[in-house]
Amino acid sequence: MQHQIILLKEGTESSQGKSQLISNINACQAIADCVRTTLGPRGSDKLIVNNNGNATISNDGATIMKMLDVVHPAARTLVDIAKSQDAEVGDGTTSVVLLAGELLRQVKPYIEEGVHSQVTIKAYRKATNLCIEKINEIAVTIGKTNEAEYRASLEKCAATAMSSKLIHGQKDFFKKMVVDAVLMLDTLLPLDMIGIKKVPGGGLEDTLLVQGVAFKKTFSYAGFEMQPKSYDNPKIALLNIELELKAERDNAEVRVSNVAEYQKIVDAEWGILYDKLDKIHQSGAKIVLSKLPIGDVATQYFSDRDMFCAGRVPEEDLKRTIKACGGSVLTTVGDLKDSTMGTCERFEEKQIGSDRFNFFTGCPHAKTCTVVLRGGAEQFMDETERSLHDAIMIVRRAMKNDAIVAGGGAIEMELSKYLRDVSRTIAGKEQLLIGYAKALEVIPRQLCDNAGFDSTNILNKLRQKHAQGHKWYGVDIMNEDIADNFHECVWEPSLVKINALTAASEAACLILSVDETVKNPKSGGGDMGGMPAGRGRGRPM
Amino acid sequence: MALHVPKAPGFGSMLKEGAKFFSGVEEAVIRNISACKEFAQTVRTVYGPHGMNKMVINHLDKLFVTNDAATIIRELEVEHPAAKIMVLASQMQEQEVGDGTNFVIIFAGALLEAAESLIKTGLNPTDIADGFEKALEKALEILPTLVCHEIKDYRNEEEVTKGLKTSIMSKQFGNEDFLSKLIAKACVSILPEKTTFNVDNVRVCKISGSGLTSSSVVQGMVFKRLVEGSVSKKEKAKIAVYTCPVDTVQTETKGTVLIKTAQELKDFSKGEESLVENEIKALKEAGVDVIVAGGKVGELCLHFINKYEMMAVRLNSKFDVRRIAKTTGATALPRLTVPTPEEMGYCDLVYTDEIGDTMVVVFRNESKESRVSTVILRGATEYLLDDVERAVDDGINTFKCITRDGRFVPGAAATEIELARQIAKHADTCPGLEQYAIKKFAQALEVFPRTLAENTGVKPNEVLSRLYAAHEEGKKSEGFDIEGEGLNFKDAVTAGFLDLFVTKHWALKYATNAACTIIRVDQIIMAKRAGGPQARPAGPQDADED
Repeated sequence: MQHQIILLKEGTESSQGKSQLISNINACQAIADCVRTTLGPRGSDKLIVNNNGNATISNDGATIMKMLDVVHPAARTLVDIAKSQDAEVGDGTTSVVLLAGELLRQVKPYIEEGVHSQVTIKAYRKATNLCIEKINEIAVTIGKTNEAEYRASLEKCAATAMSSKLIHGQKDFFKKMVVDAVLMLDTLLPLDMIGIKKVPGGGLEDTLLVQGVAFKKTFSYAGFEMQPKSYDNPKIALLNIELELKAERDNAEVRVSNVAEYQKIVDAEWGILYDKLDKIHQSGAKIVLSKLPIGDVATQYFSDRDMFCAGRVPEEDLKRTIKACGGSVLTTVGDLKDSTMGTCERFEEKQIGSDRFNFFTGCPHAKTCTVVLRGGAEQFMDETERSLHDAIMIVRRAMKNDAIVAGGGAIEMELSKYLRDVSRTIAGKEQLLIGYAKALEVIPRQLCDNAGFDSTNILNKLRQKHAQGHKWYGVDIMNEDIADNFHECVWEPSLVKINALTAASEAACLILSVDETVKNPKSGGGDMGGMPAGRGRGRPM
Repeated sequence: MALHVPKAPGFGSMLKEGAKFFSGVEEAVIRNISACKEFAQTVRTVYGPHGMNKMVINHLDKLFVTNDAATIIRELEVEHPAAKIMVLASQMQEQEVGDGTNFVIIFAGALLEAAESLIKTGLNPTDIADGFEKALEKALEILPTLVCHEIKDYRNEEEVTKGLKTSIMSKQFGNEDFLSKLIAKACVSILPEKTTFNVDNVRVCKISGSGLTSSSVVQGMVFKRLVEGSVSKKEKAKIAVYTCPVDTVQTETKGTVLIKTAQELKDFSKGEESLVENEIKALKEAGVDVIVAGGKVGELCLHFINKYEMMAVRLNSKFDVRRIAKTTGATALPRLTVPTPEEMGYCDLVYTDEIGDTMVVVFRNESKESRVSTVILRGATEYLLDDVERAVDDGINTFKCITRDGRFVPGAAATEIELARQIAKHADTCPGLEQYAIKKFAQALEVFPRTLAENTGVKPNEVLSRLYAAHEEGKKSEGFDIEGEGLNFKDAVTAGFLDLFVTKHWALKYATNAACTIIRVDQIIMAKRAGGPQARPAGPQDADED
């Protein structure tokens, strides 16, 4: 019967029922298929061109998902979990999407047969809890007592994270660097204290780690060339002042009555500038860094007095300089004292590739470091930066939570076996956790597929090994076989796995619990009814 | 668009062209009822712990994944006038109790469905409405006798947890134990001694990443922000709260500084510097450790704040500024003046922390005086977080109701069955035409066990008959157990399925009122919309095309 008066606003789309659920699952699988091939050491990269025509080559699940610009409401959930994994752990983004996709795929036939989706949700939740318990049970704690051993185990974690990336060829080179970098940070391990600077040219092996700060030479005015480029134990003044002739205040107006007064005003302006410069000079500072421009008058003044200056230093670099050298950013020159100035053992300007870089090394505080990345193409370096980011995050996590498990599909196979064992003891519909067990196998299977191995064969071998109690057996990519990955040093922090499992199953449950989509027509502005839920509570923005 | 409806000759022509006009039982009442039925059907599947979620994309393209009926109907943009009455009824419930919105819509829908069949047998709509109202009276009479549990000490966390569980269960099935404990902790800890509980004092902070079980409660407030200056931790801090920006004062009227001599020019900026320094220094000397600003913190000010080792936090929302003033007991100052000791707030610990990769500023107050607590929710996706937030919201509202009236009735549809049974009996004693309507009212109550069973995937008729049998035997709190396999029944009280008495009380009332209002309408006149028909937006793609 057709309604004369419509129930919902015109243009509202609504779809409901089982077909809706199936269609959501299909959409999610399509997304999972997108990133499927990037998993593992032999995974392929994706080239994505965005709407500005910029090309990105990446192997990182989160990056790909972000670039894809997904609009499907259910599939957006998967993008979300990839982002959340990126935020929480920084690595394992591909696995989390893949796992969620596979969990949904396993449930699809049951849904089609008419099993109520709440039953599967319950089974999945239970399975997740079982898995997390199991991971915590079998995870191995890295001993912190032995310095060398601790370091070695961190390096192994970093190596595992990098083995799936573009730079896996150089992972031995980078793993040392990454661990060095993270160990230099203070207790909170703030990520932004590791600066990554990209300089095109050279080879990957030319990448260097600076214990201190390095940044690209800033734009400079005449007179810069005459400044000395290296100092030992200089004092560093960090400023937030424009050292240029300028109006003191925007809306100030000068009214003069005679010519003599006019000259005085001009002199006064110069006087103000020279006054500032004198104060800086008298403070004994050798290096002047400022967030704001340093003009040519100041540049020449400094070079006459054997000082070095750099204006328009990016804020994050300035912050890191403070962390490394001490001191604080000053907004007035009145307070320049030894306590507010930083220092370092050595400052120099060096040529790297086609750029000149300022180096501050031997810093007393050294809570920060800089990686100067070298490499061929720009995209290549971008990807290297992302890979390093992942590796750094993994090392940070490993330091915060020192439990690790074996990677390469080993832990997934073990969990899968454990769930199968448990499911046999359950009589009811919750035996569905066998679906979870099957879904977990997608990780080793995909590792094999991407490497071009016969996945069925290898999986059979793995199942047999795990059934015999060899819990750390996983895929051996190098030899097209299986191996004890704990011995092979393919290690991952257990937190990465726990978070991946939780996120994947939460996403899967969310998608399974939806049975209707209603889409309201878009409106132009944010008029009535647009208030977000919760009556404005809990949005501390 | 639709069939041409023949208009009553004469009347239609009196109206402006384009106006719609319907009258009579067939055209108005039945039509209204069927629209409402359809609407109730939409939200029926979300009822109960095994209810499904809905994805609603609102007109701003924001996606909601939820099974909170209040959210669904708010975002649905209902157009139909009769269905709107139901929406209003459920919104009233939301405001009065904060939970049980779904109950209202489903029950009103069921009542209307019952009314439809009565109208078709020839009963007058007015009689039906009267009957429903009588039945409601009886139901509200019976309801207090069903009270099975009462929370007297609402400062007891454990008892409160028990009371909150059922409400959370229907939103976040599987996480109810964890969440209800969390909410109980958050609510009980900030319960003021004398005044009543304010819902606004329990805050929610959503941070994506990790899993739901990593959520926690913080005494005090949490903001997703960074500190402005370089100081990031202060213990036992005195806090000055400003609603204004902490910056050099700008004049509202556009003015220019007139400089006449060179000396004036030289002194100008020096003067400004020392002015700011004096201001900040005065704050320090007054003992201020943390400055909370409602606006920008100027660079020059920040410099001196850093110099005097104070912490500066900038909050964008003026509500947040107000709340922080409340939490710490400070008086928010509208101008950058030195606060008196009474105007300053106090906080045990102010620090920045990293949760996931989000930096937060935490104002923590361990002492009893803390008047605000924050639930930090963690979860994998934003939608999930939004949905959990709504569940927490409902939980907090339930707590509010507990503080007012701690009476509970059995859940798991036990109350509804018992009501249905007693009302049906009562109907037989009523002479007159209302008898039919009262009987139907009882039948309408059956919709709850029926829906629970349907959503769980169990045969509803069997559940009903078994429940009736049990209640006839005198097991007043026997309810349907959704956790077991197939047909399972449990005593709701021992299993801990408890529904708030007030929720049921108001829900029954609002639903019946809404249904009666709709039944009593016999004419609909819709004026032509101003501005003409809206053009359909150029083909937004179907959501599930892939």
